[in-house]
This record gives sequence, structure tokens and C-alpha cells, in this order.
Amino acid sequence: MKYLFYLILVLLLVPLQTTLLPHLSVWNIKPDLGLVAAALVGLFAGELDGLLVGLAIGWVLSLFSAGELWLSLLTNGGVGLLAGFLGRQVSQVTSISLGVGLLLVSLASGLFAAMNFKHLDMSQMWWMVESIVLPQACFDGAVGAGLYWLLSQRFHVTRLRTE
Amino acid sequence: MWMAHSRSPYGAKRLALACFALLLVALFLLPAQIQGLLQYLDGPVGHVVRVPLEAIASIDTGIAHRWEQYMALQGVREENQQLRKEIEWLRGQHSQLRESAAATERLTALLHFKEQALPTMIAAQVIGRDATNRYRAIILNKGESDGIKPDMGVVTPAGVVGRVVKTTGASSVVLLVTDPNNAIAGLIQRTRDEGIVEGTQQGLAQLKYIPLLSTLRDGDRVVTSGLVGGFPRGLVIGTITSIDKQEGALFQSAELMPEVDVGRVEEVLVIQTSYGQSTMTGTGADLLGKPSP
Repeated sequence: MKYLFYLILVLLLVPLQTTLLPHLSVWNIKPDLGLVAAALVGLFAGELDGLLVGLAIGWVLSLFSAGELWLSLLTNGGVGLLAGFLGRQVSQVTSISLGVGLLLVSLASGLFAAMNFKHLDMSQMWWMVESIVLPQACFDGAVGAGLYWLLSQRFHVTRLRTE
Repeated sequence: MWMAHSRSPYGAKRLALACFALLLVALFLLPAQIQGLLQYLDGPVGHVVRVPLEAIASIDTGIAHRWEQYMALQGVREENQQLRKEIEWLRGQHSQLRESAAATERLTALLHFKEQALPTMIAAQVIGRDATNRYRAIILNKGESDGIKPDMGVVTPAGVVGRVVKTTGASSVVLLVTDPNNAIAGLIQRTRDEGIVEGTQQGLAQLKYIPLLSTLRDGDRVVTSGLVGGFPRGLVIGTITSIDKQEGALFQSAELMPEVDVGRVEEVLVIQTSYGQSTMTGTGADLLGKPSP
């Protein structure tokens, strides 16, 4: 059942991210649902599930992006793994703390991606950070916090996390 | 938030760490091999993902069309009048061009030029945008199984859209002409000076490496040069809007307004072969207004 859920999640993420989200983008920036999904799976299901689902999401999304495969694998897989570790160490996660965590992780992965762009001088790099990386990190944090809040309203999330 | 150790399967933690470490090492030491390994799986996975992707894309297109048909009819009358005026103007242009074409045909026959075969094209539909914010790219509903390969040029009847950079069995990713990572060989139509067209971060394009002695000016059209890449010669890329000529620089550059509004493009043509490589097939060629064989 769990694996069927993961499969549906990965399959549905692609049309959500590539077809529907561009309509909901703000200043041409859309949230990275793959990153948010990997973090939530890691948080609720542990580091191994987080890592594997993150890697699957990273791989499938990279098929529908002009970006590099390795970067997508590393960021999504890494976020799943990190969220899994944090989920085991922190007993009570609030939507705000999750949002801040996702913001920081998204910021780090965005900066890493920007540094991997070839032929970018300092002004271009700064432009990319302030107009793409930073807004996207805020967006990711807000979406993650919102989703976690919705889940916590519907389910007993602490029990979900520790069981 | 407080710290607590919940029930933790120690084996799972170690396994996850080991997997991630192994992946890191493999990605850094054997990047090509990992990519090659995953490419075997790209085809089948692409076919599976295409099903929900096309389903949602068709719902999205349906809603957009309904919106256009019923809700967004404001201003249609004014637009209609403007289009009628434009048709009148284009009719005049058309008759002039027919005269020019007839003259060109006569001169070509006189000079015994070899007739160029028109390119083979595949019509495809845009079903999505790049999954990340870092690239300006679109996703097409045709892929390797339809004969699309990386580096093929993508156009609309209006002009150049971009270049195929990635394919799966059933879909392909096109890097738009407005992406800074894209580079297309361009030619200023009036002066015949060549340069490289690249995207800008602001979502426009620029022509770089133009010779200093070039007499280009605002409003000049830039077309594909056909020398390298997947584009035949003469496809419109954009119009020059400003020129940047710095003292002491070896070249000048110019900012372009792309001819195609790449943010709204819905159907495109993928150029399978350039001039002179094959005869033309049906599908997309009609969209460019070129005669079928």
C-alpha cells in the first residue's frame, strides 16, 4: 500500500509541477513540489523512504527539465534523507519549523545549483539568487508549512511520525 | 520544538546513509556511466509518466480553450477590426513578395542554382514547462519513438522557438531561445553579419560577437544562419531593439525581441533534417505555408 502511494505520488508530481504549477506561479516562480514531497516523506516515513522517494522524484523530474540529473538526484534525495534524520531526532515538528527548514534547504540547493551554472559572473549570479533562488525558497517553505498544517488538521501527525 | 529519540530502526538509518554515500561517490567518479545506466530506464518511465501528464495537459488545454471561447471575448470586435486592417496590408505585401519570388525563380534558373530540399518536420504539442525555475524550457508530447533527437531545432510558423536538449521515449525537453544556456548561430538579414544568439536573464535574447564594422540598426531582423545546429538558413529569430557598442571591445552586441512569444506557444514543429538532407513529408510543413510534394 505504501509503495503504491509512493508510485502515485511520483507519477502525479510530474504533471502537477510541469503543467498545473506554471498557472499558479508568482512572478514566474513556482514552488518545487518534489523537494517538499521528499521532505514530508522523509519526515513521516524515515530516512530510507525519504532518500529513495527523493531519488525517484529527482530522477523522474529531471526527465522533464533541462537541468542536470545529478543535481536533481542529490538535492531531492538529500532532502529526503535529511528530513528523515531530523524527524527521528525532533519529537514535535510545527508547520513553522518545517517551513523554515524547507526554506533553508531550498536556499542551499538553489545556491548550489546557481554555482554550477557556467559562465555566470557575480552580477548575473546575484540576479539569479535574488530573483529565482530566494523567492523559490520562500515559496517552498510556505507550501511545505501549508501542507504540513493541512495534514496536521486531518491526521494525528505525531503518531504518524513515530509509528 | 524539543528533542526526543523516537523508535528508530538503526539498520534503516545505516542503509540510507550507505546508499547516499554510494550515490555520491558514483555520481562524482562515474557520472557518464550512471547517466548511461539510467538512460535505459528513461524510455519506459517516460511512457508511463506520459499518461497522467497528457491527461492533465489535455484538461488544462480544454479549460484554457473554454476560457478563450466564452469568458475572454472582451475586445474581440476591436481586435477583429485591427486584424482586417492587417490582412489588407499583408495582401499588399503578398503581391509584392510574389513578384519578388517570380524574379528570384528566374534568376535562380539563370544561375543554375541547385534546388534546396525543404526540411522534414514533426508537429508536436506543448504539454508542460520546465520542472524547475532555473531553465526556460518546454515539454513536448513527442519523443525518441517519434524520431526526435537532442539538438534538433524547434520552430513555429512565426520563427525559432528553441532546441531539443533531452528526450525520453514519449516526450522531449526544448530549451527556449530566451534561455541564457542556449546558443544559436544567427545572421542579420540586411547586413549579412553573423553572430551567436543567446538568451538573457530577463527573458529576451541577444546577438553577440557582431563585427565592429557592421552597420546594424534598430529594427533589423535576425535570422538563423544555417551554418551549425539543427536549423536551416533564414528562419526568423527576432528583431534588434538596442545595440551595445563599447569602446575598446572586439565585437558589438545587440538585444533582440524574439519573434515567437515563447511563453504562450502551444504547437511547434521539430526540424528533423535540415536543407538538402531529405525530401519533405506531410504533417508540419503545411503549417509553415510551404507546398506539399
